[in-house]
Amino acid sequence: MADNSIKIFTGNSHPELAKLVARRIGLELGKVNVLKYSNQETSVTIGESVRDEDVFIIQSGCGEINDNLMELLIMINACKTASARRITAVIPCFPYARQDKKDKSRAPITAKLTANMLTVAGADHVITMDLHASQIQGFFNIPVDNLYCEPSMIKYIRTCIPEWTNAIIVSPDAGGAKRATSIADRLNLDFALIHKERKKANEVSRMVLVGDVRGKIAILVDDMADTCGTLGLAAKTLVENGAEKVYAIVAHGILSGKAIKVINESVIEKMVVTNTIPHDEKMSICPKIDIIDISATLGEAIRRTHNGESVSYLFSNVPE
Amino acid sequence: MRSLVVFSGSSHPQLTAQICQRVGVEPGKANLAKFSNSETSVEILETVRGADVYIVQSGCGKVNDNLIELLVMIQACKTASARKVTAVIPCFPYSRQSDAPFKRSGAPLTSAPPMTVPSTPKINDFNAEYPFNQETSGSVEMNDLNSKIHNLHIPTPNNSNQALPAQPQGGYKQWLARAGTLIANLLTCAGADHIITMDLHDSQFQGFFDCPVDNLRSMPLMLKYIQENIPNYQEAVIISPDAGGAKRATSIADKLSMDFALIHKERRHAEKPNKADMMLVGDVRDKVCILIDDIADTSFTITKAAKVLHDNGAIKIYAIITHAIMSGDAVERIQRSYLDEVIVSNTVPQDEHVKRCSKIKVFNVAPVFGEAIRRIHNGESVSMLFDTNYQIA
Repeated sequence: MADNSIKIFTGNSHPELAKLVARRIGLELGKVNVLKYSNQETSVTIGESVRDEDVFIIQSGCGEINDNLMELLIMINACKTASARRITAVIPCFPYARQDKKDKSRAPITAKLTANMLTVAGADHVITMDLHASQIQGFFNIPVDNLYCEPSMIKYIRTCIPEWTNAIIVSPDAGGAKRATSIADRLNLDFALIHKERKKANEVSRMVLVGDVRGKIAILVDDMADTCGTLGLAAKTLVENGAEKVYAIVAHGILSGKAIKVINESVIEKMVVTNTIPHDEKMSICPKIDIIDISATLGEAIRRTHNGESVSYLFSNVPE
Repeated sequence: MRSLVVFSGSSHPQLTAQICQRVGVEPGKANLAKFSNSETSVEILETVRGADVYIVQSGCGKVNDNLIELLVMIQACKTASARKVTAVIPCFPYSRQSDAPFKRSGAPLTSAPPMTVPSTPKINDFNAEYPFNQETSGSVEMNDLNSKIHNLHIPTPNNSNQALPAQPQGGYKQWLARAGTLIANLLTCAGADHIITMDLHDSQFQGFFDCPVDNLRSMPLMLKYIQENIPNYQEAVIISPDAGGAKRATSIADKLSMDFALIHKERRHAEKPNKADMMLVGDVRDKVCILIDDIADTSFTITKAAKVLHDNGAIKIYAIITHAIMSGDAVERIQRSYLDEVIVSNTVPQDEHVKRCSKIKVFNVAPVFGEAIRRIHNGESVSMLFDTNYQIA
């Protein structure tokens, strides 16, 4: 049992999630003021002592990402210089996770830069969820807990999708096949895959379905949904190939740009996302959005980290 | 000879173009944009392998976006095998510390003047609405979430008085984070090998870095402006608008053999501890006054100083500022003030400010940066840029 206490702080990216997590653990959120000066610089003022405490800072990579990232870095640095014992950055949606390799000339590896920045600011530990590529854990020299939404997604499928036993799990691209098969195995369901075929460089690619979805409920599973172009096309392909209904379950629903329009006009029955990213405004204009609450997983991870207990339970179970 | 590439960030492309013209190269081609989810996107479109790269980005406008863009550009060039990456940051972000004095109880002393946007580092006075003390606050105009937990400020013009630091509990004062070391560490971890900046607010900042920092001076340009544009300048008086800037002002006064005066915030009345009297130390009656300051953000300091000088008999009041950030309604405040002319450098883009205020004049710092880059690239000494007798053509 640790002899110091947990302090949970949040920036401005997703205060509702932080409130849920704190309630789950049974604590109040720590007092902190994060605002902007008139010249747009970020100002952080910590309102309680963190000396020798176990500090957890919850900030998601969403909304105005650069501002939220700077808030997180300055908060970590503030706690570090205020003599906190350990500082854990809890980042439900990791920013810049998609820029993780040099895929063309002179491309920056911004995920590595973000990892370096977090370490340099003074973070001792990072807790995140469904990293776009789990190899990003290797960018850090400090321990990283990459939690999974999979148990929460499986619970949702079992409880909220009627006739789920007649469903088929579909991955909208080849890269997500591993993720989709793992869910399909846990639920004992069939699996299919959608493959983008490119004949020539500038030709519009065709979406090819590999597998059989006739007469079944198709559940598209992916880690991120940004502009939803792929998801919309994939849903159309599935219906053309005989699927009865199409659900989409996504870990990080970024839903930027024309995403809401695409979802509203598509054949997708329900767009299910987790609350790693706030969705209040989007839900008012898109009735198809449903939310999976992962605050229990995060809260349990924080509690177990603080108490020095194993976190492995969370990789296959949803805490009650 | 190694090739030289100069890239511009999004903050001040105009300054970079002038710097490149001075150095004799074309600005480097790069695509800077934002993805639809507001992540920064950087594409470098020409080769930098083995080259000396200079990235010009000022800490103004949207400071966090520009800072992250600078870091990503540095990283991109480093992983593209550039030989050396130098960050040229005319106006260094997060360089200031809070300068609000504190009462013995820990509460800040000064109260903010009425403003439409939250002002930079002045901390507002406590008032009873402060949410940290009220778990059941109804008087605070925030939604239930915020009032129950703690303040999360969503910046709107009306909330400026509500976003306040914590009331001390049991002797604990609030901890206002100072981001200076953090920014230095971030630049180094992104891969910067060298930093060039101008008139750092706190010159000890150079020690926060492990890499070389060139803190260029705008003073030679200021001296040149005074000698060329202010008639009969030997009879004028150099004024520092606060005690902290005295050293800066006296060095200018000495170089030009001019008189010097100082404005000082003195708290005299015990019954009204919030009322700060501004006292002029020195004589300005019937004289032309030249205020010198390094940063003008909300412009409260220089406009209040101008009033004091006017009340003490000054006939004409100039202000020379290096970094004119002019946030909020600073420009309008200058227009309404007793200042006759405000001369600023272009470390921060000034086109908008000049349009809104006829009193603002701009002096160009691009020659100083261009000359510094040229000398650094050629391995020559940069010392003459600090020499006030050296005139840059």
